[in-house]
Amino acid sequence: MRIVCFIMLLIAQATGLFAYQDTSLNKSISEQNIRFINYPDFPEAHSTWGSIGYNPANNNVYVGVTNHADKVGFYEYDPARNQIQLHGFLSDLGHLRPFQWQGKMHSKIVAGPQGEIYFSTDGGESREEYLMDHPHGYAGGFFMKWNPATKQLTNLGMGMQYESIKDVEVDMQSGLVYGISYPQAHFLVYDPQKNLLQDAGRLGSAHVPRVLFTDWWGNCYYVDWRQRLVKYEKSTGKLVFAKQSLPAFPGTPGGKIVTGITAFAKDHDKKAIYLVTYGAKLVAFYPQETGIGKWEDLGGVYEMAKGEEWKPYVPNLNIGLNGKLYYVIGGHGNYVRKDKTVLIEFDPEQRKANILLEFPIGRLTEVTGSDIRDKDGNMYFAGRKRPDRSENGSVPFLIKFNPEKEVK
Amino acid sequence: MYNRIIYSLIALFFVPAIASAQYTFFNPKGSFAVEASLENTDELRMPIYQNAMSSLTVSGDFILGGTTAEKGLSPLFFTSSLAQRKLAAIKPLEDFAKGQLSIGTGFSKAKSGNVFYAGTMPQPESGFGGHIIELLVNPQGQIAVKDLGEPVSGEGIFAMTFNPDKNEFYGIVHPSGKFFSFNLKTGKKQIYDQTIPSENDLDTYHSFALEPKDYLGRALVIDQQGRIYGSRAINKLFCFDPATQSFSVLKDELPFVWGREAMGRIDSWAKMPDGTIYGSNAADGQLFRLDPLKQTIVNLGKPIMMPRIMAMTPGKNGMLYGVAGASPGYAHLFSYHPQKGFRDLGNPEFRMITPGLEQGINWRGFQIASMATSQNGNYIIMGENESLSQLMVFPAEDLP
Repeated sequence: MRIVCFIMLLIAQATGLFAYQDTSLNKSISEQNIRFINYPDFPEAHSTWGSIGYNPANNNVYVGVTNHADKVGFYEYDPARNQIQLHGFLSDLGHLRPFQWQGKMHSKIVAGPQGEIYFSTDGGESREEYLMDHPHGYAGGFFMKWNPATKQLTNLGMGMQYESIKDVEVDMQSGLVYGISYPQAHFLVYDPQKNLLQDAGRLGSAHVPRVLFTDWWGNCYYVDWRQRLVKYEKSTGKLVFAKQSLPAFPGTPGGKIVTGITAFAKDHDKKAIYLVTYGAKLVAFYPQETGIGKWEDLGGVYEMAKGEEWKPYVPNLNIGLNGKLYYVIGGHGNYVRKDKTVLIEFDPEQRKANILLEFPIGRLTEVTGSDIRDKDGNMYFAGRKRPDRSENGSVPFLIKFNPEKEVK
Repeated sequence: MYNRIIYSLIALFFVPAIASAQYTFFNPKGSFAVEASLENTDELRMPIYQNAMSSLTVSGDFILGGTTAEKGLSPLFFTSSLAQRKLAAIKPLEDFAKGQLSIGTGFSKAKSGNVFYAGTMPQPESGFGGHIIELLVNPQGQIAVKDLGEPVSGEGIFAMTFNPDKNEFYGIVHPSGKFFSFNLKTGKKQIYDQTIPSENDLDTYHSFALEPKDYLGRALVIDQQGRIYGSRAINKLFCFDPATQSFSVLKDELPFVWGREAMGRIDSWAKMPDGTIYGSNAADGQLFRLDPLKQTIVNLGKPIMMPRIMAMTPGKNGMLYGVAGASPGYAHLFSYHPQKGFRDLGNPEFRMITPGLEQGINWRGFQIASMATSQNGNYIIMGENESLSQLMVFPAEDLP
């Protein structure tokens, strides 16, 4: 019996049963402040993986939704009309042949200088890595551009043969498109005007950090295996490496360090870019035009027991018009409340996290998305639920949230 | 009943991890990665774009490496301690020979002392030729470098080997494909045209859109009689006998996939302690065994489906290790044993522990261009071919 109890204790620890401190919910926020919006016309929709973005040119939100096999639906949500629309599937819109199948869109969706938006495609399956010359192997991920005015998708070509493109960013001034490949973590710079692709080489170790972000000047940032910021400085066309690593809690496993940043949100007024690390740190980064800027350690995403601070999983981050940060903790087996995801409000001034809402993981399992806010202050996340926890039991939906008013 | 509950709980606990493990990496006990390249650091590391490890050997406790740089940058020599698992020295080649791009010939050892030789390739369109470089590794792992000059003016050294008994170098130069010999003691140098492609060969290469860097043999090997073997157009193996200064072409061609003969060339050689010689064909990644007495080869097949076997090195008890596959695919470590055949060991993923990463991280080897065996035969060392390349080391298996 003692053995049974010991194993139960192990399971409880592994599932984080004792890993949180009690924090009372914010009573001013209710379910009226949040809405889950279903994706129409795609019954086999499975998930979204950071594949969400906002276009300031038309105030619309875009999402790539996958069946996690070979079909990616491209959606547009119009907040003004409160309408969501499926434009079609990437294989059709991008004129892809069957041997160019794409498992998902993993990149965020990023606005370009002419009102267009960019994203990239991903293999998303194990067969991507080990069936290179196989009839059903993975050809490689593509850069793609959507023109909202003409509703046309342009396939801008492949990044690297056999490699996915996990994330993209765009320099709003020059139109340069940045990408990061998977699984070899090559940093790519693509100039659509000249159709020039520069492979700046491998920056990662055994696991690929998923997030790129840009600063106010259009320089692009990634991390190396030491969780040091790596900047593509567009004035020189060279990579600049930070000397120091981003902050991490003592005891953060190496596997968390090498994965770097999971999400970001920009405060344009304060000229700060807030980052979340895979080791659950919040960082305020203040970039500068040349060289690496400064950063400030804001602490953990949630108050945890000593030695477990690095555990919460936060692959999403938004910033409200009030300057506060909003994120959902949970996913990939990491939860701070047993079997619940929690929506957090974090005040960067006070450096304090409050739980606003809790969701059973059967209703909200995991949330992705960085820095998606419309002109009315509504923030958006790409969510999914896994009601039966099986690989097939996954349902994606768009999350619309506003802490200051009810959302329609 | 208790047992059932316990087993069920254990299964519940571990099944998700087992179910999600779709493949495993090669990470034997005792393996490790050495952080050899890193930008903007106070640690001794090689800078970005100058560290693709195209040549490796071992001198006592020290790994000796030579790199390939990107255009406009100097390649480097470096040493790394196996015992301390860290770099000991870095020397830019440009301090000794100007206008060089690559140290790609591997290292040949002198008859005595910790003296090694390598050949270099110049920067493209620079007007420089490749040099023979002599290196002395001292007991602290520091490197003394000496430039022995250009064996063939204006041409790079694409492949080279050294016969320590005769003090003589043999090489293939780029872009012409000529063969040279250079006696270190006498200074006598001879250049031969027998290995250059004919006009017909060049037409064939043109029709396959191949450049000299794509079709010239990448390595040479010396048999027990002092004869030198390499590849030449098209898909042929040649043998040079220094005693008669004559060339012959082996009757057996490199093993090929039908229609791809034009791309056939030697990618690497490995000479085993018992004298057995293994070779590889870059075009399709076949391994073969050369019988120098009969001047024949035996096609041993392909360890994986991809082309290339860029590097091979002896293990213990007749085991051969090699790296098959290369960009745009990934390298697979493989082993070959005469009695047991091939094993595809897949991507190596070793633990890297280094200052600032004391908890350790996993380092996965995707592109690997060079290999070496430690002098005591206990370690196999692999050098990456990346913008920031690291060393990957594992204990040689002691299988019967």
